[in-house]
Amino acid sequence: MSPDRALPLWSMVLEQAAGTPVTVGHVCAAVVRVTGVDGSSVALTTSSPIREAVYASDETAARVEELTLTLGEGPSIDALRLGEPVLSADMAGTVARSRWPLFASEAVAVGVQAVFALPLRIGVIHLGVLTTYRRRSGDLIRRQVSDGLALADILCLLLLDGTDPAVDTPLPEADDAEEVRYPEVHQATGMITVQLGVTAEIAFARLRAFAFAHNRRLRDVARDVVARRLRFEPDSDDDYACGR
Amino acid sequence: MAKIQLTDVFVEMADTLVVGFDLIDFLHLLTERCVQLLGISATGLLLTDQRGALRFTAASTEQTRLLELFQVQVDEGPCLDCFRSGQPVSVPDLFGAVDRWPQFTPAAIETGYATVAALPMRLRNEIIGALNLFDARPSSITPDKQRLGQALADIATIGILQERAIRLRDTLTQQLETALHSRIIIEQAKGVIAEREGLDPGQAFERLRNVSRKHNRRLSDLARMIVDGSEQLPPALT
Repeated sequence: MSPDRALPLWSMVLEQAAGTPVTVGHVCAAVVRVTGVDGSSVALTTSSPIREAVYASDETAARVEELTLTLGEGPSIDALRLGEPVLSADMAGTVARSRWPLFASEAVAVGVQAVFALPLRIGVIHLGVLTTYRRRSGDLIRRQVSDGLALADILCLLLLDGTDPAVDTPLPEADDAEEVRYPEVHQATGMITVQLGVTAEIAFARLRAFAFAHNRRLRDVARDVVARRLRFEPDSDDDYACGR
Repeated sequence: MAKIQLTDVFVEMADTLVVGFDLIDFLHLLTERCVQLLGISATGLLLTDQRGALRFTAASTEQTRLLELFQVQVDEGPCLDCFRSGQPVSVPDLFGAVDRWPQFTPAAIETGYATVAALPMRLRNEIIGALNLFDARPSSITPDKQRLGQALADIATIGILQERAIRLRDTLTQQLETALHSRIIIEQAKGVIAEREGLDPGQAFERLRNVSRKHNRRLSDLARMIVDGSEQLPPALT
């Protein structure tokens, strides 16, 4: 994300939070504001195949989640399965009706004309899906898509906080989403999966926790891992990592 | 290196663009062929991440990969100018371009390059990325070479579209997101391989790529399975 856009988006999230800790709901409220939709929801992929809805901005958004869950089809199911955004601008149109025959007609019945689903993922790490709906049909404009994707990145970081119960992961900061742009961060994540014998999700959470605990930038810590100046050890007590 | 013919490259690219091809692998191959065909030192390719920034996608050499990343990091350089303006950028002599890009130019010269060109990757009205050409000899990237480079950049763009068109009727957003996450997965896999085998990330990528070619596997599928632990690389031949 370009720094000049990351900051206003993050400010908007903070504005929604109004001094309280940032939650999924605050990011979703920002999504609604910048992408011109009417409501949003977040569902997580859990270890079981069942999706778990963790947030809905209003009753219609909750209804869209419920329809998805009950019918087992819809844009957010596809977004999760394909790992790609599914932007369906016209629920009443033939494309949507043939792709999701049940979901499309039910969505229209509850007054939803467009559904945009963005997967919450970082490479192999799949966390869930952000679904937004609008009462009027029509495509998102480019700027709305890019802001939506950027806010989905922030959501990913926020959701990862609860990934590893052993680690108190920090809340995302303004530049965190930007740090994820650096390949060293992902290389280090891969290295830590081997060092600790954990999933990429947990490895990434540990990396962020370490950076936070030592008040360092994520990319700098990642560089140390890649250069083998820093190694994560399975059983160390406080730091989860030690230099060597 | 044997002289490579334009027709060979076009035939090879056309052959690659069939069902099941791997986009990142295709773009890497394209950067390598671009070097051979144009007789230049190196090429690199950056794609938009749709959040307002360019991200590294493929390069013909490790040094070029680092230089491309450097451009992104310092937020200056020919690739970024080209992406922002949508126009080709050509710098016959980098020594005269220090003022233009005070951070990028010295880094490029240090890497051994004397000239650079950046060519837009355009889809309809949208710029989705840029292809960088580098060479060690000043003024060696002639207008003819740039035209040919632009043709290859256009093939890369077609490849990005094609990858998705085969699967579903879909939007540019999805195509670019796929490329972005494929790249992230490959970085994650490089980390896994680097740690297991005591390699650096560049060597880990070569390892990954050799195995994917030898066993005829899609690069990003193999990378994903390595990261999620469902597959390990066969032992390297020593």
